[in-house]
Amino acid sequence: MAQLSSTTGKKTPRRVAVVAAGVVSPLGFGLAETLDSLRQARDCVTAVTRFSVAECRCKTAGQIPDDRLAAGLSKTFRAKRLHRASHMMIHALKEAMTQAPEFAPELTVIGTTSGGMSYGEQYYRSLRQSGNLRHAPMWIANYPAQKPVIDAQEKILGVSVPCQVIANACASGTNAIGHAFECVRSGRYQRVLTGGYDALSELVFTGFDSLQASTPEKCRPFDRNRAGMVLGEGAAILALENLELAQERGAFVLAEIVGYGISTDNFHITQPNPSGVGARQAMERALHSAQISADDVDYINAHGTATIFNDAAEGKAISTLFNGVPVSSTKSMMGHSLGAAGAIEAVISLLALRHQFLPPNINFNALDDRLDLNVVANESRPAVVRMALSNSFGFGGTNASILLRRVGA
Amino acid sequence: MSLAIAGMGWVTPLGNGVDAVWERLLRGDESTATAISEQFGDRSYSAFRVPDSALTGLAHPRLRRASVISRFAAAAGLEALQAAGISVDSQKGQRIALIFAISNGGVIYTKRFYGDVVETGAQSASPLLFPETVFNAPASHLAAILGVTGITYTVVGDGAVGLLAIRMAEDVMTDKSLDYCLVVGTEEVDWLLCDAYRRWHLLRSAPPIEPFSKKKRGMILSEGAGAIVLERPSRRRAAESEARSVTIEHAHPGGCYGKRTEAVEILKRMLRDLNPTEADFVISSANGTFIDEAEQQALEQMTPDAITYTAKPALGESVGASGLWQVILGVQALRYQELPPVLHADPAISLRLARSRMAMDKARRAIVLSSGVNQQVAGSRLAIG
Repeated sequence: MAQLSSTTGKKTPRRVAVVAAGVVSPLGFGLAETLDSLRQARDCVTAVTRFSVAECRCKTAGQIPDDRLAAGLSKTFRAKRLHRASHMMIHALKEAMTQAPEFAPELTVIGTTSGGMSYGEQYYRSLRQSGNLRHAPMWIANYPAQKPVIDAQEKILGVSVPCQVIANACASGTNAIGHAFECVRSGRYQRVLTGGYDALSELVFTGFDSLQASTPEKCRPFDRNRAGMVLGEGAAILALENLELAQERGAFVLAEIVGYGISTDNFHITQPNPSGVGARQAMERALHSAQISADDVDYINAHGTATIFNDAAEGKAISTLFNGVPVSSTKSMMGHSLGAAGAIEAVISLLALRHQFLPPNINFNALDDRLDLNVVANESRPAVVRMALSNSFGFGGTNASILLRRVGA
Repeated sequence: MSLAIAGMGWVTPLGNGVDAVWERLLRGDESTATAISEQFGDRSYSAFRVPDSALTGLAHPRLRRASVISRFAAAAGLEALQAAGISVDSQKGQRIALIFAISNGGVIYTKRFYGDVVETGAQSASPLLFPETVFNAPASHLAAILGVTGITYTVVGDGAVGLLAIRMAEDVMTDKSLDYCLVVGTEEVDWLLCDAYRRWHLLRSAPPIEPFSKKKRGMILSEGAGAIVLERPSRRRAAESEARSVTIEHAHPGGCYGKRTEAVEILKRMLRDLNPTEADFVISSANGTFIDEAEQQALEQMTPDAITYTAKPALGESVGASGLWQVILGVQALRYQELPPVLHADPAISLRLARSRMAMDKARRAIVLSSGVNQQVAGSRLAIG
């Protein structure tokens, strides 16, 4: 039940705390390595080695090394069979639960776009080549999108928690966090685990290449000479809790989530409405949800894929709503991790709030003349950051924004 | 939170339209299996397919290149909205949420897209096919057709995903700015899926599906879509006589099992939460696989007297669509106070099955159980009046 106000008798929404977070991405394993990479403006995009990209325009991606993923995990046969995406989720959840070992979630809401896709690819290739299908049952069992979520819960929490897996293309991670936020805010749940994951796969890499959305060059969001995105991978987890209950039990609060906005622009299955209306509506609804004005926002972690169309529409929407707020796309450093992107970028926004700095938008030479943005160019910088907005937009015209507030701000 | 079911839509291998499919189920009809040949070998599979003729009349430009999974979803969604008497205009577009339940997704186009890459290299990859491989493509098509501009979520999971989507609908409907939530479950069949389930020892080569059989010979895959429109009961009462108004009284958040043997305990916990003593019948997800045994054990321990029904021998296992199909069955059974016969069940099974068309006079409540083969279970309780 939602809380009743003692004075008006009306239901008042609960405040929602982030009491733990975990992340694994090309920027590093864990919050500390991620923070260091952000501060150092590290370019973590490298040549793709997982599959052949000889016929693709784009040859690079943000990648997580397998040896680090395997390190620290159980050496049992069962753990080895798990998909890389499960390993990522296990690392991220383990870090979060180390911060809040007593956190007992009632629900898990996770975003992804492609689950264990590379196992599906192996299965298909083996079928076609009449190859060795001895591992087919393993590939098939570890392919479904919910599997990495259940694996991580089983390995780290040791209990069964109901899970909702949202696949809203590139907005999945932010949608998952936004829905989890609403679940706690409404009073229906007290503690929800949320986040997102995605692992690089040939099918998705080739798909973006076929659309000519990915670039053979550096990823340069909002730059005059931007030529497209590069892909990435990773996982991030946030533990959300009713703030009042978290404070009662003396939990350490990393940040508050205060607003969520979602919109569907229906313009085209792969392209945003050029007017930026979908992005603008998502941001407006997040501001309305948080009951704050655009002037209260100190930093925007943009979707910023560096495609011509996305950055034009998002840039237009941001400049319509905000006046000179610093903006960066951290995808420039680690690539676009699709379903994980919103979750990783929420963690990056959280780090900006906690450590009072602006994460950089690297590979930036000159602003697109048609945009009016205050881009955090190439280097991180110290700043007062009390409120951060994180955007994610995806195929199908799905748009999502969340607002995070510094504790005590 | 309780939600009223304002409208339903149904696309199945046994026909289109809620009342038409229901009539056929009551008569004891079952879908006709179609042979699907493997692309790389000489194996053949049986599946229950939706006939092409079922989709005539869907002419929206967004569906021109869309896979059948999107077409099924559009047909079911539009039927549900029509039954609810809702037309979505620019004002209502933000006040209706759209939640999709999907398991395997657009497997036909995904296979074609990746097949081209494998056969002839990345330069052959089709930019037209790739967007249709994305899980939320069907939802985005229907959102565009309807003009939905607010919440659109695609939830993925196993056979339990339909009921998990309904639980999510309950969650989002706490937002008072929403009037309705359209929940759609959809799935398409392909030989690749048949091969995958066969290698997992969950598929049988030809019908029938024998529910609750100790031999667990496996399931037959099927395809189609189911859709329900949900709204707050207070709104519904104004629009419909209370006697026919069916609500989802409780959408359980479900659970996940690690090992198959754990499924029974989770199902029992869930049934306890759903208060099975009040249920007049149970719509089970028994499909001829290991999940039947888990559901049977849980039901025998928690609600031994309830009548149990499963439509999967007649309709097949439609995975992402199956939970919505089960809810539609439960609603129809409550409204018409009868259950269709369970086909191909062994007479020796100890559960109380609806073995022939069975009157359910004064039935007020039903439990819907969905157990997926990929570790998820979910349940809901329906009530009439």
